Amino acid sequence: MIRTENLTKVYQMGDAEVYALHDVNLEIQEGEFIAIIGPSGSGKSTLLNMIGCLDTPTSGAVFIDGIDTGKLSENGLAEIRREKIGFIFQQFNLVHTLNALENVALPMFFAGVKRETRLKRAEELLANVGLGDRIYHKPSEMSGGQQQRVAIARALSNDPEVVIGDEPTGNVDTETGNTIIDILEGLNKEGRTVVVVTHDAEIAARVGRTKRMRDGRVLD
Amino acid sequence: MRDKLLMAYRSIRERRTRSILTVLGIAVGIAAIVSLMSVGYGMEEAITGELTGYADFIGVFPAKITGTTYVELGSFTDRDLKDVQRIGGIKEFSAMTFDSAEVEYRNKRVPIFFISGDTKELESMYVEPVGLKEGRWLRENDYKGCVIGDRVANDYFDEVVHVNDKLIINGEKFIVVGVFEKASTLYASDIDPYIFLTLRATKEALQTDEINYIMVRVYDIEEAEEIAEEIKEAINDNHGLDDFANAMTMGSMIEMMGDVFNIIRGVLVGIAAIALVVASIGIMNTMLMSVMERTHEIGVMKAIGAKSSDVLSLFLLESSMVSLVGGVVGCVLGAVAAKVISLGAGTALGIEFGAVVKPEVLLGGMVVAMVVGVLAGFYPARKASRMSPVEAVRHE
Ligand SMILES: Nc1ncnc2c1ncn2[C@@H]1O[C@H](COP(=O)(O)OP(=O)(O)OP(=O)(O)O)[C@@H](O)[C@H]1O
Ligand SMILES: [Mg+2]
Repeated sequence: MIRTENLTKVYQMGDAEVYALHDVNLEIQEGEFIAIIGPSGSGKSTLLNMIGCLDTPTSGAVFIDGIDTGKLSENGLAEIRREKIGFIFQQFNLVHTLNALENVALPMFFAGVKRETRLKRAEELLANVGLGDRIYHKPSEMSGGQQQRVAIARALSNDPEVVIGDEPTGNVDTETGNTIIDILEGLNKEGRTVVVVTHDAEIAARVGRTKRMRDGRVLD
Repeated sequence: MRDKLLMAYRSIRERRTRSILTVLGIAVGIAAIVSLMSVGYGMEEAITGELTGYADFIGVFPAKITGTTYVELGSFTDRDLKDVQRIGGIKEFSAMTFDSAEVEYRNKRVPIFFISGDTKELESMYVEPVGLKEGRWLRENDYKGCVIGDRVANDYFDEVVHVNDKLIINGEKFIVVGVFEKASTLYASDIDPYIFLTLRATKEALQTDEINYIMVRVYDIEEAEEIAEEIKEAINDNHGLDDFANAMTMGSMIEMMGDVFNIIRGVLVGIAAIALVVASIGIMNTMLMSVMERTHEIGVMKAIGAKSSDVLSLFLLESSMVSLVGGVVGCVLGAVAAKVISLGAGTALGIEFGAVVKPEVLLGGMVVAMVVGVLAGFYPARKASRMSPVEAVRHE
């Protein structure tokens, strides 16, 4: 379960203070599939980054499985990112010097999983997203949709409870977008909590719960 | 570990041009140090090594030497010679005349220095190390024969002088009986511009028997300084002066040379250090650029769960691999450069010496390469590893 408590992120822009998040109180239940929608600049990415432990709040707190992430050390946060959360970016963000297999195996590498084990698992994960025949391709040798599927496989590498996607379909065509949503839906059916940000009303309609954001606040 | 190495290798290979430039930067700095030091050691060894062969020599001359000026104060008397020979511990003794004369060959006249002395002694001092190119060495009863140095034969006159050619020395005809090889060793290089005569020839034909150089060999090198002191005192007593004679052991010459070489080596190391500082700045710059360029990648790694220490160790591994290669290449280049430089310098100076590539210099070069490379990589890598993941990922 993920819970935020008066989560606030303020950016200082010259003399002005920009509230990217303003007292956000949100609860996401285990096994939920939730979509966050809202206009550009409303704070969706900022919220996901907080939940994904990629960024630290100005004030307020994020609880993951009851743990106050603000009280964790650098390494403790790294462990949560590595073990509990799989993050999918709009820009894919694969390591371009590594091929698909190695990219997917990377989180397991940081987790200290044995080489044979992680390569085998990476291969399975790639097969699951339909890329069994592309495992030695570098990111530059793949389409956007294929890269995003590699990124999904990578997010699943350490079998996380939570999968977070910041506009995972934002940079792919509608058809691929649907495939990606299918995959995410499948992950949710396996019991994982899935949180996505999207601009796509169709996607929003397919998920269990939708939360709307505006000006750094989550609306009811 | 193997995986980390592999990953580091991958990203080095991925940025081939930059990596090669970094390796070159390190290599050039290290090569500069290694080659300059090796040349310095080579020079030192060539000179002191050769002089050490003459460590039992004491040269005695009636002159004051202050700095580089040599003021001749007269010549030695028969009594001086006898007194010196009486001093204990002396194995060999040789009195020589050292003067200049007008020499003419095929209508060209030049002043040239000549040395005359006991032929056996001169033979062991000059003929053995240098060798004759033509003819033979002097015999004690050679009345009007002479042996000439390489420059006398080749440079001083319009035509090259050979064996059996006639030279007119101070108006007297002499026959060239032998020509020296070009003296390639440092110690004996001063024989190239000389003419060698027998004592009899100088006395009878040139009417001079002034002895102004005594060469002594001692049995025990340990006693050399002491004996030199005794010789000086004996001769000074005869002349009633404090500083008429000057007796120099090879040992003190080597010491003097040693000082000079410390200075030369200091200068060489200084130059190398400047080269290294310049190279280090270059290395730091490339490392900084390379890390900055990959801030995004670092952010991605952290976002998927890498610890700061994982990132740091990957980057340090990468920079130490680059430094290692740079160090090895630098040592090889430096050793080769040292050989080439010493060959070139040797030819230019007319002396023979090989660079001495000491293992400790190579080891030092490797250590410096690693330290510089890793330090240069450490700062940017640590900075990058401490960024928050979003901050780093946003960096494109
Ligand atoms: N690093 C930053 N520095 C300053 N302001 C920032 C920074 N990151 C975000 N903001 C501001 O915070 C607000 C929320 O940004 P955020 O990226 O969360 O919006 P978003 O809802 O994800 O928008 P989009 O749909 O365009 O991705 C915006 O007003 C943005 O300008
Ligand atoms: Mg966004």
